[in-house]
Amino acid sequence: MARESIGRVHFSLGDAARLSYDQIKRRRGRAAINIASIALGLSFYATLVLSDTFYSAYEGLGGTQLSVESYQYWLVGVALVVSVVGITNAMLIAVYERYKEIGTMKCLGALDRHIILLFLVESSFQGLAGGLAGFLLGLAGAVASTGFATGFDVALRVPPLQMLAIFAGSVGLALVLSMTATIYPAWRASKLRPVEALRYEL
Amino acid sequence: MNYDYVIELRGLSRHYAMGEDTVKALDGVDLEIKRGEYVSIVGPSGSGKTTLFNLIGGLDKPTGGSVFIDGVDIAQLDAYELAWLRCRKIGYIFQSFNLIQVLTALENVALPTVFAGVPREEGLRKAQHLLESVGLGTRVHHRPSELSAGQQQRVAIARALANDPGIILADEPTGNLDLNTGMEIIDLLHGLNKTKGLTLVAATHDLKMIKASDRIVWMRDGQIERIERG
Repeated sequence: MARESIGRVHFSLGDAARLSYDQIKRRRGRAAINIASIALGLSFYATLVLSDTFYSAYEGLGGTQLSVESYQYWLVGVALVVSVVGITNAMLIAVYERYKEIGTMKCLGALDRHIILLFLVESSFQGLAGGLAGFLLGLAGAVASTGFATGFDVALRVPPLQMLAIFAGSVGLALVLSMTATIYPAWRASKLRPVEALRYEL
Repeated sequence: MNYDYVIELRGLSRHYAMGEDTVKALDGVDLEIKRGEYVSIVGPSGSGKTTLFNLIGGLDKPTGGSVFIDGVDIAQLDAYELAWLRCRKIGYIFQSFNLIQVLTALENVALPTVFAGVPREEGLRKAQHLLESVGLGTRVHHRPSELSAGQQQRVAIARALANDPGIILADEPTGNLDLNTGMEIIDLLHGLNKTKGLTLVAATHDLKMIKASDRIVWMRDGQIERIERG
């Protein structure tokens, strides 16, 4: 083997997605906790944003001026930070659980960045699912909390594009939060040396 | 260029700092292993067998000395090249199998081909073929938890062969198996060594495994005590 004959290893986004999907499917418990954590934080956020939107729509229809209190947005910020910390914690535990697996993957040719990719893809799946669930919960919450003051049909008067923007914003925020929470655990996992990882007994 | 020695160790050392003391897990090991040879590394626990295994496999970095694989000093390789070496040149077999629990036997065996850049269908076909060759053709869709210890080790052997490596490194491959299952695994490995000309380096306690090998390297206190012909 001449030095020049040494090639490159491969690992595509699709490969990472397939493996992450298997991880989530087989380890549903941990994934469910992460998804719930994101969904709860996000539903709070979506409730407030949507309530605000509904109040504005109501005002536009000639109703009295109502609004969300600004301190409630502070509370949302706190809720989102808590959910990020929760996910970081859960992902760190996931890294410890998979020490041997990470070591094995490195023996089979995985690079540090492949390990990072795996964890980030996994958390983006969880972020998407949590964002979706959180938006739906938030929508239900907003309709329930504003409906008695404004009438339940106000939600239908909001322009579809505006609703779509709020939906995209919510899911996007969930995605960003979930991936942000996973950066540190993924980095930790990628820096494991194979010998340490393989020696580890849980 | 074809090198006579597929593995060459020159003055290989691995020291660990333990507080004030330095533990010499490996201390000045020289060894040449020919292509197609079956070498057993034997010694009491703590003699440096696993350290040697890790260094030959590029899983750990030596404190001193060099490891040459096919004439290339692996200390000179960057992270990408080292990953390629692990992926294509060396197949690893462990005492505790180290299969990925969320994947089926077939997917476990196909995983190294993903890193090698083999198209998915082709990798799965190859994995199927390898599993058949180790006698697990009917269990390809089982997960590791649904397989016996012996079957799991067969999956691990098939996985080690996935990218047609020239070298198989085995660390106590029969350590977690009962007598008969261990014997079957030894026969399987020995057969691969003879029929495919694979270089097989195994750290072991197992007398049956030692008897089948071409050479036996006895380790003690991080050094080679003696080398015997099998």
